[in-house]
Amino acid sequence: MASPATSTGSPPKRRRADVRALVAVACFLGATGAFGADPKLLPPEQAFRFSARALDDRTVEARFAVEDGYYLYRDKLKFAVEPMVVAMAPPDLPAGKVKEDPFFGRVETYRGDVVVRLPLAKAVAGQSIVLAADSQGCADQGVCYPVNRQQVTLVVPAAGKGPGPVVEAHPRKKSWFN
Amino acid sequence: MATTLIRGIGIAAVALGALGAGLYFGMRDQATSPEPAAAAAINGLALPDADGKERRIDEWRGKVVVVNFWATWCAPCREEMPEFMKAQKEFGPKGLQFVGIAVDQADKVKQYAAEIGLNYPTLVGGFGAMELSKTLGNTLMALPFTVVLDRKGAVAHTQLGVLKPDKLDAIVKQLL
Repeated sequence: MASPATSTGSPPKRRRADVRALVAVACFLGATGAFGADPKLLPPEQAFRFSARALDDRTVEARFAVEDGYYLYRDKLKFAVEPMVVAMAPPDLPAGKVKEDPFFGRVETYRGDVVVRLPLAKAVAGQSIVLAADSQGCADQGVCYPVNRQQVTLVVPAAGKGPGPVVEAHPRKKSWFN
Repeated sequence: MATTLIRGIGIAAVALGALGAGLYFGMRDQATSPEPAAAAAINGLALPDADGKERRIDEWRGKVVVVNFWATWCAPCREEMPEFMKAQKEFGPKGLQFVGIAVDQADKVKQYAAEIGLNYPTLVGGFGAMELSKTLGNTLMALPFTVVLDRKGAVAHTQLGVLKPDKLDAIVKQLL
């Protein structure tokens, strides 16, 4: 068989590698439907990203970062802490945007960042506590998610030591491209 | 050289095909074609209705069955239901049957069904029903999710999100 032409200046092995790279990219785009007209819906743990930090031995700060195009129902937000001995008083939930629902009447929704301060009782510095949050929301595209539970484990800081680190329930994975 | 060229063209064709498939599936409904086992599972699904009486999806075999997963807490679900009721009225005599599967509490389902005068049965399912919808392509387990079964019980269409009236009409008329 004749040897491959070299007039392009590109060695055949390199050219084959180029084609393979093209195939890989095309397959990747094909598999993900990256050019699709509909934006993909996020799974609830990404649409409603939950994180928390212990501010001191009496208070936990819980946060939902709600993605653009999604919203949470205020009255569906529920928090629980383990162990039970670290009792938690009912939190003061921030006011949401009021909407009149034909079936449920007045409902309040949250968009953007939602921050809730949860008062703890009988927490001990250095103690690990698990904070579980139930939330329920929808996407503007016209779908709703069932109640979703997310949880984080926090260590109660000693008095006067300042707040503990922010702990995310589902830390973002590093992208391949940056 | 010719072999290399042909191989190159072949690979490029596969790549374009993959890209085309991606474009097609990306623009399609998010739900993907279910496995036959999932189709069998939905046909054999038995759940209580809002009055507690057990019903099976395959009791409507022979009709075109539109199974709609919904909940009272899901506003988009409630928005599309009046359209389903219209379609039930119009195409019911020709063999169309809507069946709701509410991922909800029975008392709320009963109350809501009475309030809107729901003209088709709705069953009450829990997390198990959502798991089943996942096998039919509802990977996010979100609502509303609708499955259209042909007269033989095969899955003809699945839809995550609101099934718009013109699309519903087109699907149903083809199957009736």
